[in-house]
Amino acid sequence: MMTPALIAAAALPLLQNGLVVGAILFSLGLVGILTRRNLIVMFLSAELMLQGISVSLVAWSRYHGDFGGQVLVIFVLSVAACEAAVALVFVLQAFTRTGRLDAAAWQSLREDNLDRTVDREIPALDASSPTFPRLTQAGNLPETDEQAALQRDHV
Amino acid sequence: MTPNVLLFAETPAGIDWLSPGVLLAAAVTSLAVSLWLLLPKAGRSGPWSRRMGGLLGLLALGLFIVTGQRLGNLGEEAVLLTVSLVAVVSAAATITCRSPVYAAIWFALCLAGVAGVLLVLGAQFLGVATIVVYAGAILVMFLFVLMLAQPSGLTTSDRITNEPLLSAVAGAVLLGLLSLSIGRLSAEEAACCRLPSKAAALSGAAATPTPATAEGFDLLAADQVARLGGELFGRHLVAVEAVGVLLLVALIGAIAIVSHGLEGDQAETSSLQEGRST
Repeated sequence: MMTPALIAAAALPLLQNGLVVGAILFSLGLVGILTRRNLIVMFLSAELMLQGISVSLVAWSRYHGDFGGQVLVIFVLSVAACEAAVALVFVLQAFTRTGRLDAAAWQSLREDNLDRTVDREIPALDASSPTFPRLTQAGNLPETDEQAALQRDHV
Repeated sequence: MTPNVLLFAETPAGIDWLSPGVLLAAAVTSLAVSLWLLLPKAGRSGPWSRRMGGLLGLLALGLFIVTGQRLGNLGEEAVLLTVSLVAVVSAAATITCRSPVYAAIWFALCLAGVAGVLLVLGAQFLGVATIVVYAGAILVMFLFVLMLAQPSGLTTSDRITNEPLLSAVAGAVLLGLLSLSIGRLSAEEAACCRLPSKAAALSGAAATPTPATAEGFDLLAADQVARLGGELFGRHLVAVEAVGVLLLVALIGAIAIVSHGLEGDQAETSSLQEGRST
């Protein structure tokens, strides 16, 4: 059984640990949203920042013995749900218009005094790209209709 | 896990070069270099540099753990360390993974770690709600990724990033500054903005900066979720109603954007066709 004095002594390190975990999550999300160009990964990075904030708020709530922080996290969850709905609709619209999930596809919206983003050096595909296992052949290859294969739309 | 940084404090003789400030600087530097190596970029980003980046990231994590505050309770400490490691490592993998599908999966694992941290911090309802709410949201997101991802491998924009070096340095410096201020947090400062309890205010006694003693027990009581619900629907009832309206507005707005966008596309294509036919 822990006495209140022991709990009070352990409260500050617990608060600091929680705050540091929140800070790490927030910083990683910030790096992600600054660098990544895929719209969906940028969205995930924003959610990562929200998670960091939630951890910090709950740590403060535990420290102060008050439910205010947890109530605020519930509101953060609700607003994040709204944001997810609207943002995914925007991402879908952007994809249907440009056919790409690249944020640079919308760089015609930039300010006048900014330079155009040009991918000068495009990295090659990794040689270590995932190699999927090959199953052993379990029968003869069926005859395919070449005409139908040509007419099939792309996936 | 928290760097107990007292930059100008006296360091023990003999290892004065190994002060917490130096350790924090080393952690920040290795984190920046590791993120720069891990982020997808042009040039020499082979498997070797990624392995190196992973090692440096583990070194930074180890430095953060070594300079951290101890909780004094070994079991709680081990659990907190495990779940925070899961959360942090999978968060780093989320932003450094090239494939958006893998990023979504890593993010789901990160949410599991965050839910564990919330449980350790005594937020039972939020720990479970994070899993339930975000599992649904992430499932939808994952389906989106699968629907929109090009079948012919990774696109160019997945293999390249904007300013990886500057962003990694900015993130690491932000983390260093945050953990510096967190490490300097003392009990008096942490309790400064706390409202005096009702009993203390009534008796006129000065609020003593002793955190989470009696009320901390209340926070971890067995009927914690019921008390959280009471707080939510009692003191914050107006905010709950406002959030409900916000959810409805977001739903209607999303539907409106989709249907309007479709109409706009049809109008554009029909006008184009008219222009061609005339």
